[in-house]
Amino acid sequence: MKRLSIISIILLVLLTSAGTSYESATKQNFDTNAKMKAVFVYNFTRYIDWPEEYKQGNFVIGLLGETSITEELTKVAATKKAVNQTIEVKKFGSMGDVSECHILYVSSNNSGDLSEALQKTKGRSTLVITERDGLAAKGAGISFKVVANRQKFEISKGNIETRKMTVGAALLSLAIVVD
Amino acid sequence: MVLKNNISIIKATTKVVMLLLFIAACHKTSAQQDMVRQALKALQAEDLETAKGNIDAAAVHEETKDSSSTWYYRGFIYKKVYNTEKSNKSSIARDISVESFQTFFEIDKKSELYETAYKSVKYLASTYYNDAANALTDNPEGYERAIINFEKHKETMLLIEPNHDFRSLEMQFYLVLGQVYNQLYEQDREKNILFYEKTEDAYKLVLGLDSNNLSANYNLAILYYNEGVNIIKNLDYDLDLITLTLIQDEVVVLFQRALPYAERAYLLNPCRKETLIMLSGIYFSLNEMEKSQQIQTELEGIEKIGEYKELLKSVDGLQDGTDEFNDVQNKIKKLIEAHSNINYCAGIK
Repeated sequence: MKRLSIISIILLVLLTSAGTSYESATKQNFDTNAKMKAVFVYNFTRYIDWPEEYKQGNFVIGLLGETSITEELTKVAATKKAVNQTIEVKKFGSMGDVSECHILYVSSNNSGDLSEALQKTKGRSTLVITERDGLAAKGAGISFKVVANRQKFEISKGNIETRKMTVGAALLSLAIVVD
Repeated sequence: MVLKNNISIIKATTKVVMLLLFIAACHKTSAQQDMVRQALKALQAEDLETAKGNIDAAAVHEETKDSSSTWYYRGFIYKKVYNTEKSNKSSIARDISVESFQTFFEIDKKSELYETAYKSVKYLASTYYNDAANALTDNPEGYERAIINFEKHKETMLLIEPNHDFRSLEMQFYLVLGQVYNQLYEQDREKNILFYEKTEDAYKLVLGLDSNNLSANYNLAILYYNEGVNIIKNLDYDLDLITLTLIQDEVVVLFQRALPYAERAYLLNPCRKETLIMLSGIYFSLNEMEKSQQIQTELEGIEKIGEYKELLKSVDGLQDGTDEFNDVQNKIKKLIEAHSNINYCAGIK
């Protein structure tokens, strides 16, 4: 009888601990959207062709404003090349800091700076990418856009070609072309 | 203490064996029934091998095989054997004991020995369950043994309580089993892909029994969510756009699959921090930023409960209308405005 009581206690302990058991979620802090965008941006360097004079030296990706993509693009720069060019990531705190770059990535918070960014990079083969949607129709080359929970992108072929870059057909086939 | 317990157990066993011998002596004697008695005498002398031999012979002999007491004694002797062989995982003594008691019940449901047989079977059933639980907690690889023992626990309990409700026990068992499967899956995600499905099945089984089980809802959501996050985390930056688009479709499906379970877990307990972190992450991964931010705000509210309670405590000791009082009141007001869940989660009405 005493033995049975001891077993009942053991059972109770096992069951109580089991009843409130939860899986751990170690991956929760990972920024899935930033990783997706970084893979897209790296792909843009492969599907868009820059003029010959831009194919020397480092391939510069400028980031205007605070953006979650920074860490991921830094990892891209450390491990990948833009064709044969070493990738360099530059952070610009404000428009005044913006210098020459192959890609200028405009963060969501700095979307209001688009006109100035376009003006500042005018005449250069700089691909302007915006984090906020709808801006490819307002002068940017590419704008990220969420469609049905998915990260998609809008492209303005005209805005890109005006800057003497060419867009691969494969990229256009996957994009929302705005012109 | 242990020694004292052992002495008590030996004394109790001796008493039971003496009682059994007395009951056996009261029955009509014959050569074979004598064999039953010999088995009990051997049991009393702690000679379990002889006891087994005698009772097994009685169990197959024409004269004694249909006697309920033969099966009762066989059940009792094998239970004793099991208790001495507990560490031997390949021992079948417990199974034989249960089978013997089962035959005993089939032959004579109104036996005077029913009560003690009932207790013995209940004890044996509990040992199956303990073995199931231990198999899961000791080593994840022991899951098959755990399932076998859990099923045996149920079968054994049904011998004495045919209408026994296992729902609660099954939920608890399958929750732990699901975690063990997931642990095995996480050890090698490619090689152990089968365990992903097993994990999913285990939690779904629990939800089939109770769709409002918080652990199962949370665990199933986190299984799908982690899977999606893991796929994205391991994406190669070199991935071509077509493949990337296909993978994105796959992970969105996983996040969408996780969402209803995460939302249910949230409704069941809107103040559980881990659930809020997960739910916010799922909305974020589905690019539903407003919803993600709303949950983040609630999460911050929970994190500020300590500070909020301190402010409430301090305002009590301040004189109404003073600058300090107004300052604390403003802070309280701001916290309530910023985090609508703070009073509820702090348990303040």
